[in-house]
Amino acid sequence: MSYLRIQSLGKRYGGVVALDGVSLEIAGAGIYGLIGPNGAGKTTLFDCLAGTTAPDQGRVWLQDQDVTGWPAHRMARLGVARTFQECRILPEETCLDNVLFAAQPQGLGGNLLQMFTRGPGHRVAALDEAMRLLHLVRLQDHAHAPAAELSFGQRRLLEIVSTFMAQPEVLLLDEPASGVNPSLLQVLGDFVKTMMAERPRVMLLVEHNMAFVMDMAQDIIVMHQGQVLERGSPAQVQASAKVVEAYLG
Amino acid sequence: MPWMALLMLLGVLALAPWWAAQQPFVLHMLVTACVLVVPAVGLNLMLGHGGLVSLGHMGFAGIGAYVAAVLMVDARWSFGGAVWAAMLAAGAAGGLISLLCFRFRGHFFMIVTLAFGLMLHAVMNNWDSVTRGAAGFAGIPRPTPVRWGDEVWSFGPLPHFYALALAMAVIAFALQYLVVNSNFGRSLAAIRQDERLARSRGVNTLLYKTAVFAIGTALAGMGGVLQVSFLRVAAPASFTMLESINMVLIVIIGGAGSLVGPALGALLYVALPELLRLSNEWRLVIFGVLLVLITLFAPKGLAGLCARAWRRVWPPQSQTPAGAKP
Repeated sequence: MSYLRIQSLGKRYGGVVALDGVSLEIAGAGIYGLIGPNGAGKTTLFDCLAGTTAPDQGRVWLQDQDVTGWPAHRMARLGVARTFQECRILPEETCLDNVLFAAQPQGLGGNLLQMFTRGPGHRVAALDEAMRLLHLVRLQDHAHAPAAELSFGQRRLLEIVSTFMAQPEVLLLDEPASGVNPSLLQVLGDFVKTMMAERPRVMLLVEHNMAFVMDMAQDIIVMHQGQVLERGSPAQVQASAKVVEAYLG
Repeated sequence: MPWMALLMLLGVLALAPWWAAQQPFVLHMLVTACVLVVPAVGLNLMLGHGGLVSLGHMGFAGIGAYVAAVLMVDARWSFGGAVWAAMLAAGAAGGLISLLCFRFRGHFFMIVTLAFGLMLHAVMNNWDSVTRGAAGFAGIPRPTPVRWGDEVWSFGPLPHFYALALAMAVIAFALQYLVVNSNFGRSLAAIRQDERLARSRGVNTLLYKTAVFAIGTALAGMGGVLQVSFLRVAAPASFTMLESINMVLIVIIGGAGSLVGPALGALLYVALPELLRLSNEWRLVIFGVLLVLITLFAPKGLAGLCARAWRRVWPPQSQTPAGAKP
């Protein structure tokens, strides 16, 4: 059983071909780097995997279940969690509430019932874990402050912590290092490594910071013009003539 | 502390028949405020908590009003049954219509809700055989008297009807409190702040928005029944586009997304012409100016202003930052 299998995925936006027959298999847990020049289709691939957009052709299997074209909320409940390039958090909520919200059950029927039973449910059960994760990224002092007060780098950390709080099987991080200063980036890298060591799962990492992605990932997938150009260990990819020509320069 | 203030306010309102015994117009105003506040709470759930601005809200109040009118007059239903049926009808219509509206976003969504409000009004105004048309649906009874041993509590006298109106307003506020402090409410808040993020957290946003629209319009229906039972006539003029826009003004001026906002907005709305001794027409002018001032200087409305004043007089004791939970 493989975590994730993608078969000749295609997607166009008008005349632009964003994905041109991408096939990929992720067999085991670990961190997979996804690199390539701008417009290579990395974010579109994420959008197709997270259910944000439906692909025009091809299929996606998640743990041997065909999930092609499933909407985002169903993919989320199936255990696919993502972050966004532009960093999305709930600005009016406190940091703690941001993290707890990721652990909240989202079935409408159950939540309508909870309105009247008023069971504390997930909020009590998840509180310790939420505080532990906030400690790991050193946001514990901001736990009760609105998330809007955080700096951009801290928002990134909060977004990633929330994503892990959902206990996903597959994580999709879209440029987590962009706009994050070096010391926070260190915290972020350590946090991700800690979480990945605690429980085996798959993380796909779109990133332009080569030092960061080569350090984090065990396997690098290079995309170019909507196709997979090369795949291999960081050392193999950096040595590949094709990759150097298309991207690394 | 805010709870104490709320209980005191509720106490003052509940005792109104005694302290305002010599001034029936005060009681009349308070009933009118209750009639407005029930749909306003519904709109606050949609607009303030879910971020969905509906410009056709009173159209759904009209559905409730006319369903109740037909049931009570033509089918001789009791008031209680008519309230349930009206809420169900308005909520179902709201849920279905919202599904069409959600195909549009932002301003387009607002315009489509406005269009449906106009359509509903046109139906009320022209479907003579059922709604009695523009002349209005007269002869709607007050709720049947309640017997308790030898005591008979009829809803004819104003103080008695006021008790009913206040009770219905309290029910609406209690429902709002339950919604806001629940998982459902937290998901709604997430949808308002970032719909894409909410979806990626597993929230079926379309379903949730439809649900809050149904709850909000059901409350509008409840307000509609209360209104026609109070006025004893259902008139299409009560459910026009202008009334829907007034509803939005009440919610925003009171404080969108605040629990007490609709009450403050509705009280100000009915009290303003009395306080300033102005004709009804000036009310909209003043409300318009207020709306501009509030959006500029107090985006959280009257409720936000009150909360700020409260914190200035009684500053929070603990050192934890504002909004912290113990």
